[in-house]
Amino acid sequence: MSSETVRKLFRRTGIALTVLLALALLAPILITAAGAFSRAEWYGQRSEGAEVASTSALFHYVIETWGRALLRSGQVVAAVVPLALLIGAPAAWAFRRRPFPGSRLLEAAAVVPLAIPGVALAFSLIQSVHGVPRFWLLVGGHLAYTLPLVVRTVGNAVETLDSSLESAARCLGAGPLERAARITVPLLLPSLILSALLVFAVSWGEFNVSFLLASPLLQTFPAGLYLTYTTNSFPVAAAATLVFLAPVVPVLIAIQAFGGEEFHRGLPA
Amino acid sequence: MTPRSHTAASAWTGALLSLPLLLFLSVAVAWPLAHLVGRAFTAGGGEALGQVLAAGRYRTALVNSLGLSAAAAAASLLLSLGPAWMLARERFRGRDLLRTAISLPLTFSGVLVGFLMVVLLGRIGAIPKLIEALTGRERLSGMAYTFAGLFLSYLYFEVPRAVMTLESAFRRFPRELDSAARTLGAGALERLLRIGLPLAAPALRSTLAVTFSASMGSFGVALILSRRFTVAPLEIYTEMTGFLNDDVAGALCLALATITLVVDRLLSMGQRR
Repeated sequence: MSSETVRKLFRRTGIALTVLLALALLAPILITAAGAFSRAEWYGQRSEGAEVASTSALFHYVIETWGRALLRSGQVVAAVVPLALLIGAPAAWAFRRRPFPGSRLLEAAAVVPLAIPGVALAFSLIQSVHGVPRFWLLVGGHLAYTLPLVVRTVGNAVETLDSSLESAARCLGAGPLERAARITVPLLLPSLILSALLVFAVSWGEFNVSFLLASPLLQTFPAGLYLTYTTNSFPVAAAATLVFLAPVVPVLIAIQAFGGEEFHRGLPA
Repeated sequence: MTPRSHTAASAWTGALLSLPLLLFLSVAVAWPLAHLVGRAFTAGGGEALGQVLAAGRYRTALVNSLGLSAAAAAASLLLSLGPAWMLARERFRGRDLLRTAISLPLTFSGVLVGFLMVVLLGRIGAIPKLIEALTGRERLSGMAYTFAGLFLSYLYFEVPRAVMTLESAFRRFPRELDSAARTLGAGALERLLRIGLPLAAPALRSTLAVTFSASMGSFGVALILSRRFTVAPLEIYTEMTGFLNDDVAGALCLALATITLVVDRLLSMGQRR
């Protein structure tokens, strides 16, 4: 066999493997989606006490039942995304442009939570931090797992940024605030948007910390999913899963568009 | 301004900008973890730690977590090598679509993955139903609730992590090295052994670190699927909420976090982030 034939064979096998892997990962999601839309007997009873006949009624039921958890998840995400950016991005810039004694250590410390199991951190938070409302403990737990993503994404972007623009602005007499507002932030905007998307995706799906920290009134939607899976019939659980996925899919596509290579690292499972 | 005072001022600016991060990490990570370690030195905490480390259900849970996470990390690495290479180094139609599809499970919480496994391999799962329709015999029904089901679920959320970690490493491989070796007459095997593997070793290790840490902390999958085979995060939850035994829960947390952190550090030793 010529090396060209071997290479072609190699390439075809590789593509086939990749397609197979993607299909294997998608298959259970597609079957679940079918469960929310199909009326086949196999998928089980659609009614859940209330009469749930049509698919739209099914989703209506899910949103009615889990509305509060959805709202809670929305509130958590709305607090976590801006806080993660405000805390993480200036530090990431400083680590590269204004290093100080101990800045390397602090940067390393920022990613440590990724190797701490969420249950362990959640338990320790409950035990050691008193007088803080549960909602903010939950936000703190989410921040611990999302800040590393911001520090890394923005840090990588600063590294590739041409520092001469900042210096030029300084020579021309621009103050620090003006330089930040007119040079640094606009140049870092893609990485800031990417960070925000990553933080959103992680925070929206986070379960380990949320479930332990959640009081019955503070259930986030992933914790609500757990209750759905253990108590509701299959079509209701399937519809709830689709409601969970609805914001995730566009965010993931946007992440790919912004080149989110660093996405993978340390998302809590 | 002298260069010296300029550096000092710039260091102060840097420290000031990083202050919120420092404060957050101190209050929400360092303090709780120090508290967790401190528990081990109280009377109840010390006793509980002894209990957790002695032979019994707690140690079994820790060993189970360790074994399951290590096995799933290794298996997901093997499964991901080919696809990650293809996504990083080859061009073909639909590549971006495939990448998005593979990255989708990254955002799934453990309970969702557990539920998907029930959909596939539960008592009336899709695969047993399919087998029954094709062969008329009932096979694999309820496999989701066995060790195999748990293992497959861990693979499900680890494979996307492994593919994405490997892909970004493969992308940074210098192509020139390989072609230079080829020009110098090195065969495919030699190129793999002397260039490919040494270049890939850090990526392989960081992939193992990422997937291992994610599995050690995973809790939702076991919450849905675990019947007899228990894992440490599940035991922590049970001790905390079921038995209200904070000493044992704390000791388990400490042991689990220590094991995960040590393995993670060992795997990423000598590497830039």
